[in-house]
Amino acid sequence: MIASFKRGMAQLASRKIYIFMMVIVPIGCAFFFLNLMHEGLPLKVPVGIVDLDHSSLSRRITRSLNATELIDLSSAPESFNEAMGQVRSGEIYGFFYIPADFQEKALSGRTPTLAFYSNMSIFVPGTLSFKGFKTIAVSTSGAIVKTTLVSAGADETLAGEMLQPIVISDHPLGNPWLNYSYYLSQSFLAGVMGLLVMLLTVFSIWQEIKQGTSPEWLATAKGNMAVALAGKLLPQTIIFSAVGIFIQSLMFGYLHFPLNCNPLHMITAMVLLVTASQAWAALIAETVPNFRLALSIVSLTGILCFSIAGFSFPVDKMYGGVAIFSYIVPIRYYFLIYIDQALNGIPIYYSRMYYLALFCFLLLPVLGLKALKKQCLNPVYQR
Amino acid sequence: MKWLKDIFKAWRRETYLVFTDIGVLIFFFTLPLIYPIVYTLIYNPEIITDITTVVVDNSRTAESRELVRQLDATQSIKIVGYAANMTEARTAFNEKKCYGVVEIPADYARKIGRGEQVVLDFYSDMSLLLRYRQYLFALTNVQMEKITELTAQKLSTGGLVTSGISGLPVDTQSNFLGDPTQGFASFIMPGLVVLILQQSMMLGITMIAGTASDRRRRNRGRDPYEYQGGSVAVVLGKALCYMMIYLPLSYYILTVIPHMFSLPHIGHFRDYMPLIFVVLLSTAFMGQTFQIFVRERESSLLVIVFTSVIFLFLSGLTWPRYAFNKFWLMVSDLIPATWGVEAFVRINSNGADLSDVGHYYWGLWALTGLYFITAVLLRHFTVKARRKALAQTSAATAE
Repeated sequence: MIASFKRGMAQLASRKIYIFMMVIVPIGCAFFFLNLMHEGLPLKVPVGIVDLDHSSLSRRITRSLNATELIDLSSAPESFNEAMGQVRSGEIYGFFYIPADFQEKALSGRTPTLAFYSNMSIFVPGTLSFKGFKTIAVSTSGAIVKTTLVSAGADETLAGEMLQPIVISDHPLGNPWLNYSYYLSQSFLAGVMGLLVMLLTVFSIWQEIKQGTSPEWLATAKGNMAVALAGKLLPQTIIFSAVGIFIQSLMFGYLHFPLNCNPLHMITAMVLLVTASQAWAALIAETVPNFRLALSIVSLTGILCFSIAGFSFPVDKMYGGVAIFSYIVPIRYYFLIYIDQALNGIPIYYSRMYYLALFCFLLLPVLGLKALKKQCLNPVYQR
Repeated sequence: MKWLKDIFKAWRRETYLVFTDIGVLIFFFTLPLIYPIVYTLIYNPEIITDITTVVVDNSRTAESRELVRQLDATQSIKIVGYAANMTEARTAFNEKKCYGVVEIPADYARKIGRGEQVVLDFYSDMSLLLRYRQYLFALTNVQMEKITELTAQKLSTGGLVTSGISGLPVDTQSNFLGDPTQGFASFIMPGLVVLILQQSMMLGITMIAGTASDRRRRNRGRDPYEYQGGSVAVVLGKALCYMMIYLPLSYYILTVIPHMFSLPHIGHFRDYMPLIFVVLLSTAFMGQTFQIFVRERESSLLVIVFTSVIFLFLSGLTWPRYAFNKFWLMVSDLIPATWGVEAFVRINSNGADLSDVGHYYWGLWALTGLYFITAVLLRHFTVKARRKALAQTSAATAE
């Protein structure tokens, strides 16, 4: 074991690409994600207002729109067509439309229509502009009714209650700030870790076969494939876990991402994610008799993980035949543990199955040890 | 003439190399053919419906039951049961039997009857923003419906305002552009396909370079398959080969795929094909620039695969580009897919024409020029360095 371990260390030191992929890329990615989204919510969506009314009321609406933090009134197109043109060219993500004679109709009770347009072809700014517009539109119409009611003799608080007889106070659990980075950074950085671990595992195992040095590798463990494999992968486990925990400490410690559980729960999950991904990739490396193909398969799964593990679209709403694949990738369980433990802070009892599932991945490489030994004793490299 | 012949020969050699290498063929053909289908299958349910929800009804009246029925009738919410109290609801939440809890206060019916304001509490799981967003839309709709219903009722019974007002004096009308159904596949696919085109081409090109490095290592610095020509001609010839393969593929990926899955597709062929032509051309040169980082056939995967995630974010699909800081904006400007995604989404989903997205289009030509120059320079200097090294070793062996 010690000899194999030493050999694994020596391999990692032999070429720059190993350190690059194990340390520089993950930490670089962490810096990228956390720095890119450090604001949490992409406020100030550039939008426009088409004001055909030019009345005191329409100017009041413009002022309230300007004061909303969600949107940024960056343009004032003269017409509907001009506004649409700006949406098409990507200058603005939506616009508010006040028709001519708006004030006159509103005050005389002839029900004018305030319209707003949000470009949903890019989701986040589309949704945020919609939210900003809707708030202003509703509060504008409310203010007009309130004025009417008060002038008709109603008490001011009564008028307010009449306007909003039902209020829904919503409590977004664990993330009341609606911070996007909490999801995207957490899940995507873990996904990047999983991907890199899998790539490196296959790469380092097959490097021996490609160079024809695999018999020597096997000899370090006196012909015991399991020991040779464990010894080779252990240095990577240590480095990757350290990098993973460092990234976690950046998020939970330095940036104060929600961590509503004992930090050990997440650290354990990270170590398990690293080892489970190694085990998964080791099985592929063992059973696929071609370096490039094995590497392609782990890249494919690593990249598909970002979609299939349900980071953005829920697994339970995917087609059944597609959704089952989410359960054969380690990252899914890490994600679920993160939701349960760090975000929601529920008792670890409810997450027990996810930890167990990650443990089960560790048994996978046993299945292919025989095939790998055969490969190692008679190394054949095919393009 | 000789120069054109050089281009032709470089193209012929590259085409030969591509079509005799199964690894490259997989990247160039299988990836763009299969990936869009796989991705669309994952996201094809489009919208999240029937999110399981639990109600804690402290009021237990006809009014509260009607509210629950109204919530259940929305597309997004599915009421799976009543919980006796918040503790029970919490347990259901922990066991993932529900993603949201609605708590109706004990005085709900009384307050509604008296015309007082009533506050409902809603607790939502925040594991996915998409789910929370669906919840919010549904709840707001129910709330507005209730308000209109109750206000109209009260106004007519109260006799405060009787003339001509039914509900609110101002109508609001919301319109969704681009992806009117707000489906997830309809949103993500048009952008994703451009990224797939770029990344698969990058993988293929760098793998060709890595394989050439391997050959040189085996043949003491010489690559028997390398076409020895002027740098400009070789770079152009290679790009010609990639374009020949990718133009038909991009027709498939940009036209056939949206038809297969009924994704938004209102752009015109004559607008998006010229755009994608430049995206591909700049990618062909960018790939030849990135070749410098790949020294081994298999390390092309290591170096390129993880960049897909970075490029996805740089394209502004998930996190909008206006919220980038200056530094990342500059970095993202250097990636053809960023502008390709921005412009293609506008053409494909918003019906823009090429002149609407002119700034992206000309920006892409600028990138093409930039990467052409870097590719030619890198090729020029690496070939020169290699020849020198080769001459030295052969001189050494001659001695």
